[in-house]
Amino acid sequence: MKTRKQKILNWILIIVMAAFSLLFLFPLIWMIFNSFKGDAAIAHDLHSFAAFLPPALSKGFFHNYTQILFHTDFLRYLVNTVFYAIIMVVLGIIVNGLAGYALAKINFPFRDRWLLIIMLLMIVPMESIITIHFFFIAKLGLLNTVIGLVLPGIVNPFNIFLFRQVFISLPDDIWEAAQLDYCSPIKYFFTMVLPMAKSAVATVGVLTFLGVWNDYLWPSLVFTSNRLLTVQIGLNAITANENTTMGMKLAVITLVTIPVIIMYALFSKQIVEGVVSTGGKEG
Amino acid sequence: MGMSFFGPALVLLCVFLFIPMILTLIFSFTDFFALNPSLTHFTGLSNYFSIFKDEDFRLAFFNTWKFVLIIVPVQGLGALGLALLINKVSHFKGYFKVAFFLPVVMSLAVVSTLWIQIFSPEGILNTLLAHLGIAAQPFINSSSQALPSIALMSAWQGVGMQMIIFLGGIQGINPALYEAAELDHASAWQKFKDITLPELKPLCVFVFITITIGAFRMLVQPMIMTGGGPSHSTYTMVYDIYETGTVNWELGMASTMAIVFAIFVMILTVIQTIITRNKEDK
Amino acid sequence: MSFVELRNICKKYKGNERYSVENFNLEIEPHEFIAFVGPSGCGKSTTLRMIAGFEEITSGDLFIERKRMNEVAPRDRGISMVFQNYALYPHMTVEKNIAYGLQNMKVPKDEIKKKVDYAINMLGLEEYRKRKPKNLSGGQRQRVALGRAIVKNQKLFLMDEPLSNLDAKLRVSMRTEISRIHREIGATTIYVTHDQVEAMTMADRIVIMKDGIVQQVGKPMDLYDHPVNKFVAGFIGSPQMNFFDVVVDGDKLTFSDGASMTLPDRIASKLSCHNKKLILGIRGEDIKVDNLALDTFKNNILQAKINDTEIMGNDNNLYFTFGNTNAVARVSKYDVKEIGETLSFIFETHHLHFFDPDTENALL
Repeated sequence: MKTRKQKILNWILIIVMAAFSLLFLFPLIWMIFNSFKGDAAIAHDLHSFAAFLPPALSKGFFHNYTQILFHTDFLRYLVNTVFYAIIMVVLGIIVNGLAGYALAKINFPFRDRWLLIIMLLMIVPMESIITIHFFFIAKLGLLNTVIGLVLPGIVNPFNIFLFRQVFISLPDDIWEAAQLDYCSPIKYFFTMVLPMAKSAVATVGVLTFLGVWNDYLWPSLVFTSNRLLTVQIGLNAITANENTTMGMKLAVITLVTIPVIIMYALFSKQIVEGVVSTGGKEG
Repeated sequence: MGMSFFGPALVLLCVFLFIPMILTLIFSFTDFFALNPSLTHFTGLSNYFSIFKDEDFRLAFFNTWKFVLIIVPVQGLGALGLALLINKVSHFKGYFKVAFFLPVVMSLAVVSTLWIQIFSPEGILNTLLAHLGIAAQPFINSSSQALPSIALMSAWQGVGMQMIIFLGGIQGINPALYEAAELDHASAWQKFKDITLPELKPLCVFVFITITIGAFRMLVQPMIMTGGGPSHSTYTMVYDIYETGTVNWELGMASTMAIVFAIFVMILTVIQTIITRNKEDK
Repeated sequence: MSFVELRNICKKYKGNERYSVENFNLEIEPHEFIAFVGPSGCGKSTTLRMIAGFEEITSGDLFIERKRMNEVAPRDRGISMVFQNYALYPHMTVEKNIAYGLQNMKVPKDEIKKKVDYAINMLGLEEYRKRKPKNLSGGQRQRVALGRAIVKNQKLFLMDEPLSNLDAKLRVSMRTEISRIHREIGATTIYVTHDQVEAMTMADRIVIMKDGIVQQVGKPMDLYDHPVNKFVAGFIGSPQMNFFDVVVDGDKLTFSDGASMTLPDRIASKLSCHNKKLILGIRGEDIKVDNLALDTFKNNILQAKINDTEIMGNDNNLYFTFGNTNAVARVSKYDVKEIGETLSFIFETHHLHFFDPDTENALL
């Protein structure tokens, strides 16, 4: 039971928090609403509360967006990134999932040693070997190739470990039953293990997708050809262009953010779980 | 059969983790120059001495620590405060959680590009300050304000993640403790001081180290916003590794820096793992 | 010709000193329903899993249809299995669960449908066809697991404690169901259970195990009437057989509290004991309290005070302490007495069991 005084305090707190959350989000609010304005309007609105309001609906409302979508290479960057992300998600789930399953359920030589090594690898910061990765990829002539972008990132100790932890709790009798149903190990993995662990698969998939989508450093090293760029690097190219107005810059970063927000809306549980469990080391 | 499942991962682990790690260690004792590998000499520990004599690396090293000192209290205490408040409110919990978590899922490039506009001399932030009667600030354009500005921006972006972790911790506290305290006539402040804080202590250490590790790894924000400047004031360790290794191709030197960097991060991670394990044991 | 033969099957786990299963020998006839029964850890499940191929056989030979199966993969042994926790594929509907094995065997589609329909009909699962396991009750899941085993038309059925996760009432009805299915499809069945009631009611023959060693193999009533040792005598039957420490001297049997009775010559001569300590076993229903019996065996009447009663009408247990041991008598509804009353009874000498106190093996 709450006393009357507590109820009043509670609502005061809610109002203060609501105001603070708007203040906290002001960069985003400003970004979105001003992405529909021309530069003159942005500069003008800066000095009034209109900076945090959308412009009136008019013919040029989506002008910045049409400029970005149809007069820059943005759509190409978008298609590129989705393509890379899908490759990475599929290969990442297969390679790390198979390894996680082996570590969880199959007896093979030095299995527990390997598990320990995987856990130790989790503490190595990737930044410390990124120069070597770059050196390898350059030496192999894989700069400006999709393979060069994707290959070093497929295997991920965090995901192997996450899969292992989930798979180890799967009951063994289902594998035994499947054996009697003439199911091969590899078929069992794809038709039984992955569907049974679909929440973990979703977590790894979503985090991998966001990782590729949001990654900046590695694609900026591997790609120099405009044709191949991802949205994050392409975004740099677009904003660096002299002809890009302030409104267009805000429009392009809004466009880059929208898919992430949609992913978050759809998979907030997986994202929160995954980001929290890895300490955001993949982000 | 185990090996056929583990094999693909093992090959990739070797090529992209074990071999690079070993090479980094080996290169750190040489003057390996990737554009002319034939001139490589074994130089012993001399790289390790020279990087700390190197002006840029020393600057990068101290900048990294400065960044840590600003971001850890701001982001850590901010997250704790937000979590405590969100836990208290009776309505709109879901909205608050989403609102403060939203920047976490945004990319560093987007956030950096957005904040360049916000920090700009005639930007929205300076306009807001002007309304409060504060003179315009240079923010990322001055060597004294650039690093704190980026630190505050990073705290803004990351605070939601630790907030969620703290919320989980707060909700994990046995409610009977508060009920017992209530019967013992404890005030709200006493309950916070005597129950909430002690119960969250291990989590606090965990969170603060997580933020520290994240701060150590900072690179993209200065890369996009300031190029490490002005006058190297936002140059970080990872930035130095990146420039030395991939721009100048001095892999020997870059490897030495990478080893020093990795040692710091790994020590922090190990401490964190030990603390987390103790927490779970309890 | 035996359908399944286990010859000196042993199982020893790495790092264990003791054998988990030791020298298991058994021949199973076609269409037979065999139950492995025993307390937990007795090796019954391990033996079943060795027959299935999920546990390696340490030594000994396993034959199914006269083919040695030790190194044959489980899928190629021609078996179906029902698992203790059902092991249903959680993301597949009832139908798909049942059809999955047939699909993998590349059985033509229309034939799969026919078989699945047959199984679903037989098990009364029509309205649950499209449901997933998590939306089924325990009994329904059990039926799906049975259905999955049935459709593959394997000749050997293995069941690992299939009813242990069901509540008591459901267990009784599933028991009859499994017996009915066994009659209908006629597959040789090996059924593992820790519940002697299941074994007694369902099996053609029972294998009773303890500590990895087979104690006795036989028809249910053979085990009940002629247990080879005290363990089997105590394990089979409910309430448990009563055991008394006694001293036998010629035809005189003395209980440890001094009460005594006379043994018929037939038994006395077989035992031919001289002042020897033995264990006497007698089932509750062989302790007679009716007037006719008391009149007939006036000289052997024993007495004790009733401590407790369990009156169910058709089945009434009277508990008393006699010969320093707690014992129970099963009496008809005409002979029910109250707590505190003195009970007069005689031991039906045709059904006395004697065990050696050291080896616990049955004498006689």
